[in-house]
Amino acid sequence: MAKDRLAEVLARYEAVIGLEIHTEITASATKMFCGCPVAFGGEPNTRVCPVCLGLPGALPVPNQAAIEWTVLAGLATDCDIALASQFHRKQYFYPDMPKDYQISQYDLPFCSGGSLEIEVGDEGGYRTTVGITRIHLEEDTGKMVHVGGSEGRIAGATHSLVDFNRAGTPLMELVTEPDIRTPEEARCFARKLRSIWLALGISDCNMEEGSMRVDANVSIRPRGATELGVKSEVKNMNSFKALHDAVAYEIVRQADVLDGGGRVVQETRHWDAGARRTSGLRSKEEAHDYRYFPEPDMVPFAFDPEWVDSLACRLPELPDARRDRYIAAFGLPKHDAALLSAEYAQACFFEEAVEIAGADRAKQIANWMLGELAARLNADGAEIADTRIRPPMIAEIVALVEDGAISGKQAKDVFAEMAETGDAPGAIVEAAGMKQVSDTAAIEAVAAAVLEANPNEVASYRAGKSGLIGFFVGAVMREMRGQGNPQVVNDVLRRMLEG
Amino acid sequence: MSGIDLSVFPARQIRDAIASGEFSAREAADAAYERIDALDSDVHAFLQLTPELAYAAADRIDALRAAGEDLPSLAGVPAGIKDNMNLVGTRTTCASRILGDYESVYDCTAVRRLLDAGALPIGKCNMDEFAFGSSTENSAYGPTRNPWDLDRVPGGSSGGSAAVVAAGMASISLGSDTGGSIRQPGALTGTVGLKPTYGRVSRYGIVAFGSSLDQIGPFGRTVEDVALTLEAIAGEDAMDATSSPEPVERYSEALGIGAKGLRVGVVRDMLAAEGCGEEIRAVVDQAAETFAALGAEVGSVDLPNAKHGLAAYYIIGPAEASSNLARFDGIRYGHRAAEATDVLDLYMRSRAEGFGPESIRRIMLGTYALSAGYYDAYYGQAQKARTRIIEDFRAAFERFDILLTPTTPEVAFRFGEKVDDPYTMYLNDYYTIPVNLAGNCAVSVPSGLCTTTGMPMGLQIIGDYFAESTLLRAAAAFEEATGFDSVPPLVKALGVAKGGE
Ligand SMILES: [Zn+2]
Repeated sequence: MAKDRLAEVLARYEAVIGLEIHTEITASATKMFCGCPVAFGGEPNTRVCPVCLGLPGALPVPNQAAIEWTVLAGLATDCDIALASQFHRKQYFYPDMPKDYQISQYDLPFCSGGSLEIEVGDEGGYRTTVGITRIHLEEDTGKMVHVGGSEGRIAGATHSLVDFNRAGTPLMELVTEPDIRTPEEARCFARKLRSIWLALGISDCNMEEGSMRVDANVSIRPRGATELGVKSEVKNMNSFKALHDAVAYEIVRQADVLDGGGRVVQETRHWDAGARRTSGLRSKEEAHDYRYFPEPDMVPFAFDPEWVDSLACRLPELPDARRDRYIAAFGLPKHDAALLSAEYAQACFFEEAVEIAGADRAKQIANWMLGELAARLNADGAEIADTRIRPPMIAEIVALVEDGAISGKQAKDVFAEMAETGDAPGAIVEAAGMKQVSDTAAIEAVAAAVLEANPNEVASYRAGKSGLIGFFVGAVMREMRGQGNPQVVNDVLRRMLEG
Repeated sequence: MSGIDLSVFPARQIRDAIASGEFSAREAADAAYERIDALDSDVHAFLQLTPELAYAAADRIDALRAAGEDLPSLAGVPAGIKDNMNLVGTRTTCASRILGDYESVYDCTAVRRLLDAGALPIGKCNMDEFAFGSSTENSAYGPTRNPWDLDRVPGGSSGGSAAVVAAGMASISLGSDTGGSIRQPGALTGTVGLKPTYGRVSRYGIVAFGSSLDQIGPFGRTVEDVALTLEAIAGEDAMDATSSPEPVERYSEALGIGAKGLRVGVVRDMLAAEGCGEEIRAVVDQAAETFAALGAEVGSVDLPNAKHGLAAYYIIGPAEASSNLARFDGIRYGHRAAEATDVLDLYMRSRAEGFGPESIRRIMLGTYALSAGYYDAYYGQAQKARTRIIEDFRAAFERFDILLTPTTPEVAFRFGEKVDDPYTMYLNDYYTIPVNLAGNCAVSVPSGLCTTTGMPMGLQIIGDYFAESTLLRAAAAFEEATGFDSVPPLVKALGVAKGGE
């Protein structure tokens, strides 16, 4: 969809967007109400027990660690933490839900009334604050596999299979206020939230695998109107880009409906990343009555304020504070500092490398990480944890360059090899005989030979064509198979030509 | 023939007789199965017999004894288990078609503890479907008959568990009590039935009816058997978040203390209840006199909100049940309708075919009570009533150690008498329900036979939270003073072979 089409629509209409973000607490060793391990995938129905299969007579026992993670999430997003809280049963029939009710929270979520400030756009962007209505804890459902239809969808399927490995995984749901106005704000919010969850260590937040799932409630209204429009709920976005594109599509779609004199229908819509459009799910729109009531299998929670305080003490440095520290302590440009601090694993990598190389080389480390390393990860579609490159290797490569042992160009070759083999830069340099030659006498001998072989160019240079210096440097470097220290080569040549 | 009559041998004596080599655990199991052969075609107390499990357990006890090891507290004691408790190697049907072929894949904690104490699992006992009822007439597999009169109901929902003890087909049994389902059949069959304090016994592995009300508890012919069984099954369980860490007392050791000095409160206002017979009312007055004669301080107390118990219970119980029974949907286990067009159709057909009429009634009631727009008027109000009842009991226990009421408003009724009139059926639990709502412990103790019907009557003794020790001590004193003969004529007609005592 054309960007200007969205801009045109947003000039006439205001979009009102709220997000519902489900995050699996993958940091928890066990499921929410039983002892089964939390993990992705696996042979279907192998990580199950009477509790998470909803067998007759089985009872839920709450996972204290998951509750702590949720409270930490609330503390990190400025929420009020409820001292009296409770689980409720949310009741509806569906085959992926073994008990035919989901243990969730209703009017007493663990966290409510928070907010998060986001920065939209790079330099010259703006800041805005998004309210967080609540964060509550619930259990995830199993997974359905529909067989015989198209693309695993239910339509046309002949039968369905259920895998309960995921059933009962602790699932944190965050609901925002409808404070978001553009697809870009939605993307920024989700990104920022992910970076906080990662810093807290709550979840791996893998949108592809579904451990972080973002749904968007989207409505539009004419600019200046105060009454809210009819919303649709958009699901199935498994990347930040998909979130952005789906919300943008939905805004324009609704505008088209209204412009054509139609009426937006309240419905759930499915983002199809291939077709780049949303489509309504079989719209048998009956209002669900979930018949919530307090979960009688657990006693209500009464938390001690001191317990909440002790959790607050456990809060790690959050991305914004980290970014500010990178700027202050290492003099990084704001953009670089923001990029490095947003991803917790990347920040840890950076700090470990700086720890080894020294704070005065932090900028160079940042350059390598945001340059070569980022490009490499991008090309491989990999995470920083997946590569063979470790922080000490980056620290070493920076040291080799800074100490003049290898040239910047050589360093890039070393990096490429290091990424392939996982060997230490020093060993690669050694093995390739790549050590940079900085010995002035050796370079002088080569330079003298080059000048003697090119008398015309020497004459031109001395006549004022100083740009020919590059020609001489290149020739010397060729002779030295690239191992001459470029700075020394340069100095020697200038001295000999001008002397 | 084993020559052992379980109707006269209390559990303690069975264990001691096995320990001393008087007879073996296998012979104790024989005694149970012989009695079952003789009577259960008439009584129909068991849905499933489990001789493989019982004899395997008996062999372990006999091996322990042969090795000279100490025997556990219930070694070789034949036990019945209500069919809503899971035990690997058995079907757990809840007397419902929807779980007709359901095989347990794990053990209920209370059952596991009972068997760890050496009891022999004789079989799974009949009940009202999913424990909905007061007569066992709601069992999908036919009712259980009262051993005192085969034309009368044994009470319910744990009617099978009560009948197996009354008929000497087992020495003890486990039942579950959500609104009186242990105490009411206890009263109707002349057995002792205890509902422990909520949280005293783990609920893990019992198919839930009303999660905030359910408790597993024992039946026995004597208070001591009930105390021994409670000792075995009670205590905290990591698998049940509502189980209490309160330490388990040695209930059986406090029984001989007597009732002297106990503060006994007669719940006066509840005696005036609709449908409460003259003679039943007299039970309580006679019991008060008995306690006074034993040296207790007897007084009167009112529980003004207890009369709202029935109404509150028939909101909260069905509300929780409607939710707990949702999982029986034909997808993963249990009955699945043969022909269904889609998943919704599959749900509807499987459940309509699998559940009996009373289950459907309670699911409808509960679903309605929790629906948007009705929640506050029904569930919300019921919770308020529940809070008031809790306060009534709290106030009463500031003045008294135990409270007395009849267990039921009348003796066992005849089959079919109430089955078409749910309200008068529900009235049967008038005295027992407030205790489940408040969460206290209570026991029904036989108080004699009705002079017109010859049927047993029961006294309900109610105790404070986790005051089972005081409760059982009072019950034992009353039992001793009353001298009730717990053997029904049907059993006497078999001829008593070899007893204890
Ligand atoms: Zn599990």
